[in-house]
Amino acid sequence: MSNKVSLFQQLLFITLLLFTLQACQSSPQFLFSDEEEKLCEIEYSKYQATVTGYCQEPLADLVQDLPREEKSLEIRPIETIPEVFWFNREFQYSFVKQPNKAPLIFVIAGTGAKHDSAKMISLQKVLYAQGYHVIALSSPTFANFIVNATTKDDIPGYLAKDAETLYEVMQKTYQQVKTEEEIEVSHFELTGYSLGGAHSAFVSFLDEKEKVFNFKNVLLINPPVSLYSSASILDGYLDLANDRENVTKMFNRVFDKFAESYNLQETSEFNSSNIYKLFKHANLSEEELKLLIGTSFRVSSADMLFAIDATYNVGAVIYRNHDIGKFESVTHSMKRAYNVTFLDYFEKGMVPWAKEQDSSKTRAQLIFDFSLRSLDSYLRRSEKISMVTNADDIILAKGELAYLQDVFGDRAKVFERGGHCGNIDRVNFVHYLKQQFKGGN
Amino acid sequence: MSSFVHRCYRFACLLLLVTLTACSAKPNLSVNAQKPSVPLPNEQGAQPLLFEYSDPFEGFNRRVYYFNAKADEYVVLPVVNGYKAVTPDFVETGVSNFFSNLGEISTFINALLQFKGSVAAETFGRFALNSTLGLAGLFDIATPVGLDKQNEDLGQTLGYWGVGPGPYLVLPFIGPSNVRDGFSSVVDLVAYDAAVSELGLKNDEELFLSFLRSINARNELPFRYYESGSAFEYDQMKVLYMKYRELQIKR
Repeated sequence: MSNKVSLFQQLLFITLLLFTLQACQSSPQFLFSDEEEKLCEIEYSKYQATVTGYCQEPLADLVQDLPREEKSLEIRPIETIPEVFWFNREFQYSFVKQPNKAPLIFVIAGTGAKHDSAKMISLQKVLYAQGYHVIALSSPTFANFIVNATTKDDIPGYLAKDAETLYEVMQKTYQQVKTEEEIEVSHFELTGYSLGGAHSAFVSFLDEKEKVFNFKNVLLINPPVSLYSSASILDGYLDLANDRENVTKMFNRVFDKFAESYNLQETSEFNSSNIYKLFKHANLSEEELKLLIGTSFRVSSADMLFAIDATYNVGAVIYRNHDIGKFESVTHSMKRAYNVTFLDYFEKGMVPWAKEQDSSKTRAQLIFDFSLRSLDSYLRRSEKISMVTNADDIILAKGELAYLQDVFGDRAKVFERGGHCGNIDRVNFVHYLKQQFKGGN
Repeated sequence: MSSFVHRCYRFACLLLLVTLTACSAKPNLSVNAQKPSVPLPNEQGAQPLLFEYSDPFEGFNRRVYYFNAKADEYVVLPVVNGYKAVTPDFVETGVSNFFSNLGEISTFINALLQFKGSVAAETFGRFALNSTLGLAGLFDIATPVGLDKQNEDLGQTLGYWGVGPGPYLVLPFIGPSNVRDGFSSVVDLVAYDAAVSELGLKNDEELFLSFLRSINARNELPFRYYESGSAFEYDQMKVLYMKYRELQIKR
């Protein structure tokens, strides 16, 4: 059985390689916990940094022990949650507590990511060390969020509506920790990475009206400017619908490269420095790295699609008017969903849905609505909102970096390198975070 | 191992054979159910992707996957957490090293069976060093001196000699496997059993050892069922397992 064990552990590392490391999405936190991480010798590219992290720069020195507690909350009545999501019955989030009176910060995860993804844990560690109580929330595109908290008036990705749902969730989670943990809060702050960055902007905007939290300080980390253009970029990395044959060949090639690289390794074990070596020897091309990023994005959006479908009986990738049993095969749904791009979801899901709510909305207006541009004047004048990104962030289309710099002016910080969120746990970025979040001291 | 455990295992194997093909994973559709609007890729004549494996035992597998998740939640993890709470870290490490060292025997034999001389030599070196200076395997002194831990098992040996994996199989408590590796696990278990009976322990001592070994195994495994939160976790694990075994066998 001891063989079995290491086998399983290694399996999880492969999970990391093939599915979850990339594009600001969830990767299990334990992966780099016990091994001292060394710098990598991989040739830098913005795609590589997005996949493996910006490992050419040293890791920041973060707290080892994070007193993080996983909490759950019944939002939608449990009996209304579809049986196929039996493991998602209750809304899940993380809470980190300070011993004394302190500011509380909400952190919102990126597309498809959970409250305890590697990037979320890294942010929680920094913020805890800076003296904050932290409530970490999964992305409104994460299945557990959709199944428990999304209302009929919201469709995941509709930023302004998501903000309303998030605002409700924030109040409920805050009430729960206030009662159960007896914390004292001095004031509130807010941040989020990737899609969570865009969500933060919309939540902050809503807060100006609702005034429940009166956020003192808001930071958008690697936000998309336009959801539509970022999704187009990531969708383009995996064109299953039109180029299936080529994609299949490329998958096989990537697998063979990893197999060969694994052969070269002296040890059969995996740890962080071995993973870097694996990538170094595999020497993936730009196209292949894009494939990994695109796959990761698709895996997340497929999960999202299925969760919406099962909750609202849409009938896109599931049988309409049919309750899926907990032992029932959903493989067919997965295969269907993997062929659906985010833009398909936009055209066939979000646009019709929005038109039903307001028939005067045009497609172009919706694209505008799902972007930071719709908050242009608010973001320009709000001194409390800052933005940090990388000059080579892959989710920014041409001209969008300049737009962000124009809008945020001296409240914008741009690092030269890091791809999309690849530097989130690196020395310079963490140093910047500490400058931004001093509320606890 | 005690005869009781033996009998249980034999019963489990029988049960497995009977139930393997008996359960279905097909949807039980009502009259007003409508077909999904997004077509299946192969309805369009597309070739399967590399991550598609046939799964004739799916009905059985999904049930066992669910069982494992529940067993983990209600029995296995509470016991493991209890174990972690009462044992100091250095004891945990010692226990882990001890069983890892016992596992070297199987790694060694399987390396030989695949003519992997250097792997066998390295493993033999590890076993010799850790069993003696490492006090019966309680300390791992081989890794720091550059003898890396290797990973070989009977499933890989069979794969090396051309035995295909057979269909995917989820085993109770153990988790993802396939017919070839499942068979190998049973052989490994019998071999381990034989090795342990050489130690001349009493029945309850053997039972304690098996118990400790299982707890240690689960403790070393950071996987948590449905931590991914994905409804497709079963399918993803299937691909990962099958792919990973291919990767190992190619090595």
